[in-house]
Amino acid sequence: MSKVKPAPLPPDTVIGGYRVVRKVSAGGFGLVYLAVDNEGQQVAVKEYLPSSLATRGPGELLPQVQPEKLSLYRLGLKSFFEEGRALAQISHPSVVSVLNFFRENETVYMVMNFLEGATLQDFIIAARELKKQKVFRESTIRSLFDEILRGLRIVHQHKMLHLDIKPANVFITDDNKAVMIDFGAAREVLSKEGNFIRPMYTPGFAAPEMYRRDSSMGPWTDIYAIGACIYACMQGYPPNDAPQRLDKDRLGLALSRLRGVYSDNLIEVVEWCMSLDPLSRPQSVFALQKELSRENERRYTKLSVGEKVRLQFDSLVTDTKKNLRNVTVFGARTK
Amino acid sequence: MKFSVFQVSRKGGRDKNEDRMGYCYTRESGLFVLADGMGGHPEGEVASQLALQIVSALYQKEARPIVKDAPAFLSGALMAAHHQIIRYASEKGMLDTPRTTLVAALVQGASAFWVHCGDSRLYLVRDGELLTRTRDHSYSEHQGTNPGSPVALNRNILFTCLGSPSKPMFDVTGPVTLQQGDKIMLCSDGLWGTLDDSEIVRQLSQQPVSEAVPELVERALRSGGVRSDNVTVIALEWETPDSFESTRGISTDSIHDGVFASTIQAGLLDLAVDDLDDAAIERSIAEINEAIRRSVARKA
Repeated sequence: MSKVKPAPLPPDTVIGGYRVVRKVSAGGFGLVYLAVDNEGQQVAVKEYLPSSLATRGPGELLPQVQPEKLSLYRLGLKSFFEEGRALAQISHPSVVSVLNFFRENETVYMVMNFLEGATLQDFIIAARELKKQKVFRESTIRSLFDEILRGLRIVHQHKMLHLDIKPANVFITDDNKAVMIDFGAAREVLSKEGNFIRPMYTPGFAAPEMYRRDSSMGPWTDIYAIGACIYACMQGYPPNDAPQRLDKDRLGLALSRLRGVYSDNLIEVVEWCMSLDPLSRPQSVFALQKELSRENERRYTKLSVGEKVRLQFDSLVTDTKKNLRNVTVFGARTK
Repeated sequence: MKFSVFQVSRKGGRDKNEDRMGYCYTRESGLFVLADGMGGHPEGEVASQLALQIVSALYQKEARPIVKDAPAFLSGALMAAHHQIIRYASEKGMLDTPRTTLVAALVQGASAFWVHCGDSRLYLVRDGELLTRTRDHSYSEHQGTNPGSPVALNRNILFTCLGSPSKPMFDVTGPVTLQQGDKIMLCSDGLWGTLDDSEIVRQLSQQPVSEAVPELVERALRSGGVRSDNVTVIALEWETPDSFESTRGISTDSIHDGVFASTIQAGLLDLAVDDLDDAAIERSIAEINEAIRRSVARKA
């Protein structure tokens, strides 16, 4: 297997009538370029070029695929098409829109709106560096996820699941819109084979059913990921992954640390979305939207002294890495 | 081209039969395949079925009416079957992959070629003697060649198969020129595990395949007892003498060009081999662009 990444197309290469400006990013599936169309409009062009299956020398246009990898290469092409099909059917401000799809250089390209801004992940990392008590304000979280859920509802209406919702796949544009990107995992799930699972998931955000064989995924699977994203916006870090939680679930404990900082209602919403049992979660985006938009009285329950001690004690005994630091903190307080 | 062929597969004492067998032929070429889905991994019967379907589908594509490069075809088909099993497992999100052995013989003109991976065997019998047989990819058969390997061993322990995450090892043999009356037999380990080679050769030599095969399978099941493994055998006799009247004799001389006959059933899965050809790619792109236009129109 070649460890050399395929070389990007050089700037000013013209593909399908779009002129490449620069490479924007590279992933396992291929490369994304900033390009301009013949009217000078900026677009993002995603090139199918899986680095594990294809190579391309610097300055070359055509990728090389080894014969024994051809069938896998074509299989990957199928998922690339599925992403295109998924996006093509949806026209919603919170879902990245695909403008064109074409074949050139013996591979295929997907043209999308070019988004300027940063991913939610970038924002979370920047915000947590500030070391404030709150990573994001509660009102920010509520309005952000209201937008995302509007888009997700449309996705589900098209009988598709995103299946890889995570902060890195939520883009916040410079004009403050939340847009879901990367539908590479999206699947038309309600078609013939309902038990279809992709062996691809992001730990922390993937629901437990994504790890299991022959278990049914549904809107509740994306809803788990939404809950995990809200969690990340509150804590600054992703939650424990599902297998860890099945072993020993510390989600309630982690969330109780946020009591008094975020409203009881928001904390309960996260717990609800992230129920290990799919049936205990909101069964539709609509049900979740209703709960999340409840803006009436927000109750904040502060931790009692006893609970605080218990929290601290728990960190002492369970988290060996943090032991030393906690001991000093604990000692300082008792003085 | 003329041959008689007989095949039988029996479950033995197991819950299910994970062995698969079949043959197909054109006017000038014949393909005989056998696969033994492995226990200890999920869905062995799917692995063996997939292997048969892929190999026969590729054969149908290539044999027009003969396969031009037989060794390349056999190794390519084996690898394609391997990849299809991996693909099946990954599409189903399986934690472990289904696995199978494979042995396939291709006969055209007077030449025979075969490929095998694992411990399903091919025997070639001529004039009452064992002319050759495949060597299993198992630790026990390779003990002599590799003194460093653990002394062992259960005949079931294979070091290669189709469907495992590591690339299959396999051997391609041929061309071997056939003579009238030669018999080629493919079998799963359920047969050779309980019958020794001399008995197999004797039975095959003494009777037409239509009698030798069921007899061998019956003996293997009997000596395997209540817990007998699946036993599967497919055997052919090459260029059957005209005097020999077998109801199962097949003469391909009378069939037209372009005719393809097969005992291997498609189905189980949506399984067009390499279904994403150029036309399919163009179609997908056109469909996506059509969907984009519709979405834009809806929005406007």
